[in-house]
Amino acid sequence: MSSIELDHVSKLYANGAYGVRDVDLSIGEGEFVIFLGPSGCGKSTTLRMIAGLEGITSGDLRIGGRSVNNVPPRDRNIAVVFQSYALYPHMSVRDNMGFGLKMRGVARPLIEEKIREAAGLLGLTPYLDRKPAALSGGQRQRVALGRAIVRDPVAFLLDEPLSNLDAQLRAEMRLELVKLHRRLGRTIVHVTHDQVEAMTMGDRICIMREGRMIQVGKPLEVYADPVDTFVARFLATPPMNLLPARLEGRGDGLVVSGDGFTVEVPPMHRAAYAGLAGREVIFGLRPEDLHEAPQPGFSPIEVSVVAMEALGVENILVGQIGTGDKPLELSARLSRHFTAPVGARVPLYLDPRPMHLFDPETTRAFPRPSLRLVTN
Amino acid sequence: MRRIGLHLGLLFACAVILVPLLWVVRTSLLPEHLSYSPELMPAVTLDNYVALFTSTRYGQSYLNSLIVAFGSVVVALPFAAMTGYAFARFKTSGRAGRFAVLATQMLPPVAIVLPAFALLRTVGLTNSLTGLIIVYAAVNLPFLIWILMGFFEGIPVDLEWAAQTDGATAWGAFWRIVLPVSLPGIAAAGVLGFILTWNEFLFALVLSGPQTATVPVALAALQTSNGVQIAKVSAGVVLAVLPLVIASRFIQRFIVQGLTFGSVK
Repeated sequence: MSSIELDHVSKLYANGAYGVRDVDLSIGEGEFVIFLGPSGCGKSTTLRMIAGLEGITSGDLRIGGRSVNNVPPRDRNIAVVFQSYALYPHMSVRDNMGFGLKMRGVARPLIEEKIREAAGLLGLTPYLDRKPAALSGGQRQRVALGRAIVRDPVAFLLDEPLSNLDAQLRAEMRLELVKLHRRLGRTIVHVTHDQVEAMTMGDRICIMREGRMIQVGKPLEVYADPVDTFVARFLATPPMNLLPARLEGRGDGLVVSGDGFTVEVPPMHRAAYAGLAGREVIFGLRPEDLHEAPQPGFSPIEVSVVAMEALGVENILVGQIGTGDKPLELSARLSRHFTAPVGARVPLYLDPRPMHLFDPETTRAFPRPSLRLVTN
Repeated sequence: MRRIGLHLGLLFACAVILVPLLWVVRTSLLPEHLSYSPELMPAVTLDNYVALFTSTRYGQSYLNSLIVAFGSVVVALPFAAMTGYAFARFKTSGRAGRFAVLATQMLPPVAIVLPAFALLRTVGLTNSLTGLIIVYAAVNLPFLIWILMGFFEGIPVDLEWAAQTDGATAWGAFWRIVLPVSLPGIAAAGVLGFILTWNEFLFALVLSGPQTATVPVALAALQTSNGVQIAKVSAGVVLAVLPLVIASRFIQRFIVQGLTFGSVK
């Protein structure tokens, strides 16, 4: 009974600004859901509303089918792990972890047992008598998690719990959290602005912007079919290339052309895009769909190199195309063996199959058949 | 060369502050007829201290001061803690309220002391330690509220949120988490309140009588029509400074030690 439903939930502040606007989301029991968005998009506010730490202006919030709009945090049986960890500084690790159980009047021996269990699970057993100040960042993080686990809550809400850790520790904790989710089988809502966490950890991603939930879906679905240019750019680094272009009919085919490039729309998208012929569009293509070698169906494009970023596993080429006084910038993920001096003009080949077209006015994607089946 | 200059400057500053104090200590230890002697330390005696306690009511006043200063802090601190917390965490009465609290501090004390006297006379508390405690608690309250508000603002709200999701009520979160964490701040505020009351003269002069005089009033009483009894005054001053020296040590330790360290980040 740990499903969480947000039914047109909004948060309006006293100054008339919306923190969260009309969020409609159903989180299934045991699901691992990611709230992703830039800072100030309302993801943490949404999380705090689920926890009961923020009031709800309108809409209905249900946990396990029960409306909890007016239920205080302590009666929701939800655990929150804060970005700051929020450990009680005057208590030992043991007391930090046992606090929630003590508040609920659990018998001391049972509390001890639960603490021992959680500490063993998180590798905290040697530190139980230390104060938080005597722990490293990663250990504090674990204590915060342990404090949540011992309570056996119906759901875990994690508010950017990994953002204070260094890159290596973050990667480890990412895996640990996924394992923990598998072991506990509890609903987890994880707030982050990190695309890697979003892509790798959750069953579903909910992308938020300016208080609204603009796209919800499985990570690869959202990646393959972003609903607008914001999602297209936000979900990966380097982000999707977005180039102003025009869609024209040519014979029985369609051609997208802009300053410095001409791409034939592949047959699979023709039907979907046929009605747009003659319109201004934004042509979107991910950096990994530009290649250094031609293949049948690829369109050639000449790029002048602005920068080469060698990452070891791959090289990122940042380049310019076009002849106008405002050249278009794009990036390409190329093999680590491909190098070119800055300023050189190199031929690249773009794979038009995963292409997207967006409306320049609304920034929304023009619908087309999903590609996931094709590229699999 | 610059270091030497710096140290000379610092030495001079120390001298400016310390020499008068040391001179008072010296005078308190000299027989009265040598008080104005040009020599540094012509003799040493404790007669002045003995005389202070035997021929004047200084001992009584000292006790009064301790009771009043301690009492006013005990009365004011709970109110200051609760109000400061409310100001720090909630939108209670907004900015206007916060500054309104300071209104009494903006008036010259003389403007308050007469109404206070009239009030105390009505309820029959003039010339009583209880009256002094109440008045000092009230006068120091705004100051303590502001100090504690600053301390509470420094405590991350995440801590309270964590306590609330852990099953504590808002009151429980305050009592079990905020209060222990802010203990250094509360102690510091208490010591500051104690010092303020200990040093206060005007209210004590107007509101107390011979039985309830506090240390500053008792010291002032040593300036008689027959002249200033400088030796006894010096001895009294040395004793009056003593609690402040202890208090400042205490307050320093508490203020320096930031207890929230380790809770966040």
